[in-house]
Amino acid sequence: MYQDKSYFSGLFCGIKSICIGLKTTMREFFTPKITEQYPENRKELKMFDRFRGSLTMPHNEKNEHKCVACGICQMQCPNDSINVVSEMVEVDGKKKKQLVRYEYNLGSCMFCMLCVNACPHDAITFDQSFENAVFDRSKLIKQLNKPGSKVAEKPMPARPAVAKPAAKDAEASVAQAAPDQAKAEKPQPATDEATEAKAEN
Amino acid sequence: MFDFSVISQWLHNLLLSIVPEWAAILIESVLVALVIITLYAVFAIVLIYMERKICGFFQCRLGPNRVGKWGLLQVFADVFKMLQKEIIKMRQTDRFLHDLAPFFVVTASMLTFACLPWNKGAHMIDFNIGIFFILAVSSVGVVGILLAGWGSNSKYPLIGAMRSGAQIISYELSIGLTMLTMICLTGTMQISEIVEQQAAEGWNIFRGHVPALIAFVIYLIAGNAECNRGPFDLPEAESELTAGYHTEYSGMHFGYFYLAEYLNLFIAAGIASTIFLGGWAPLHIAGLDGFNGVMDAIPGIVWFLGKTFFVVFLFMWERWTLPRLRIDNILSLEWKYLMPISMANLVLMALVVAFKLYL
Amino acid sequence: MDSQNIMFIVLAVVITLSSVLTVVTRSIMRAATYLFFTLLGTAGLYFLMGYTFLGAVQVMVYAGGIIVLYVFAILLTRGTKDSLSENTKSKIILSAVLSLVGFGLAAYLIFIQQFKAEVLAAPNESVLTMQQIGTNMLSTDQGGYLLPFEAVSVLLLACIVAGLMIARKR
Repeated sequence: MYQDKSYFSGLFCGIKSICIGLKTTMREFFTPKITEQYPENRKELKMFDRFRGSLTMPHNEKNEHKCVACGICQMQCPNDSINVVSEMVEVDGKKKKQLVRYEYNLGSCMFCMLCVNACPHDAITFDQSFENAVFDRSKLIKQLNKPGSKVAEKPMPARPAVAKPAAKDAEASVAQAAPDQAKAEKPQPATDEATEAKAEN
Repeated sequence: MFDFSVISQWLHNLLLSIVPEWAAILIESVLVALVIITLYAVFAIVLIYMERKICGFFQCRLGPNRVGKWGLLQVFADVFKMLQKEIIKMRQTDRFLHDLAPFFVVTASMLTFACLPWNKGAHMIDFNIGIFFILAVSSVGVVGILLAGWGSNSKYPLIGAMRSGAQIISYELSIGLTMLTMICLTGTMQISEIVEQQAAEGWNIFRGHVPALIAFVIYLIAGNAECNRGPFDLPEAESELTAGYHTEYSGMHFGYFYLAEYLNLFIAAGIASTIFLGGWAPLHIAGLDGFNGVMDAIPGIVWFLGKTFFVVFLFMWERWTLPRLRIDNILSLEWKYLMPISMANLVLMALVVAFKLYL
Repeated sequence: MDSQNIMFIVLAVVITLSSVLTVVTRSIMRAATYLFFTLLGTAGLYFLMGYTFLGAVQVMVYAGGIIVLYVFAILLTRGTKDSLSENTKSKIILSAVLSLVGFGLAAYLIFIQQFKAEVLAAPNESVLTMQQIGTNMLSTDQGGYLLPFEAVSVLLLACIVAGLMIARKR
């Protein structure tokens, strides 16, 4: 039907291309289907490597993380989803910044990954948990550093390129962490506001 | 091969022994009408399920699989939802024409539905002009579509109806010419005779070889256009016209258009299987008597439904492969390509028949 | 009273009613629809008589062709006023006289010809088979020459196309 082709060559070209199209769809018809039937297969469901579930801070077995509380991630975040609370402590006569709380608001995160790219120490990463539904908005504000954790003395030898916990583990940890965090975090916004109010005054 | 006319004859005699002749004919007519309407609804449900599944598979999806085993009850749920829905009364429309339009569409497709040969001796309408009758009554549906577009008093339905009218009238020419090609081969228009001839001498698509094959391909294209289905679905192109001529319809009035659309697909496939693939005629290969005996053992209705659903699958394959065409492309495809080709094909078939080149 | 007569009466009532409605209604689209019913009823009469070919032609040409053409024309030319204009007194009187004369003539012809008895005598599909129609169309005997006659009408089509070609701005 193209004007630049003659009648018959256009006709045969059209027939040929339709046949190619029909062949392609017929092949698609018999390929295995990629649909994930989610609630049934949640046991064996495995998300893709590049899937961004929610921000996490990996800890090693000694309950150490790599965050030095520089706050670059907080500055990079377009949505103000990250709030790094740090304090200055004196170690061996040197003043050093130390992480107190790493607060992450999942509700306002848009999963742009700017924070992870910006982090100089590879301290944060995205995991593959996606079952993030909660009944209260305040539960979406999570504390990423585990209680009692501290920064690793020397950088961990190998960065876990992409954290790939099985969906089951992630979901279990989320399920366990959620009530704890809810308890731990509920008074926090109030205190934050109080401190902010003080600062303003 | 089982002859269904034994049963209908027995029923007729039974009724005659109880009631006078006119009452017997009346009862039989009502019975046949009930059977038609029931089959109509059943096939619509089967086709909608099949369409959704096949569409899903072509797009690497699974299709409906939540309601019932493999989603089998999904269509029933949809039908009951549609039955419950309110039929909206709109102001500033011609209510009479607006409400009348779906019935034209549904009546036209039911009349053509009644012409299909289900089994040996089981055809409801069997005139000696069978094929011509199908062409004639199917053109009534266009009036319904145009009335639906006008009666809605809205611009999208109007545009959809105009497109649909232009498209259906154009593609009716190709359909008519391909049917004429096959009638040229069979020498009769009576549907029962066409099928019986094919049962005796082999399917038309094998008997007519090259011209029959060309006619079959053209019929597949034009049949899809006649049913307003993609790639020719621009009368109801949802991205431009919301839903085309049935935008303003709700509840069961919309349901009638929906039913008619799917049944028109079935009817187009049924006619294709009748005139090209031998209707209820089993597959025979000359010389293989054992094979032919096995094929004869399969009842005719299975043959007919099997062939029809095969053609329905071809239609769906075509639909879910190609993107929607523009209106000028649709009309130039018909008037510049399909119609000249089918005319040349008719002459070719006439030559084949005149020189007895058919198998 | 057999089923043939019952069907005839049903069809006759449909035809008469919708004919009257066609001329009485004020909406042009409804008029086209009622005309459609009239033509379908006429086709029904042909089927009742067993002239299935004529019935199918009636449905195809008139119901499927002419009415669709009408509706298309109405859709394309629809303006703000699609209802008919008011009738003046002289117009009403003139049309009444004309219709009375026409009705009288038709009734007279019907009564002197005794159509009814012949029409309902023997409805049978084998009155006229496709073979007969086809042979007559192509024959050169008396009542033949139908195909050349129809072929002449292609001239009309050629005229329309030529007119379009000349009128088209290009």
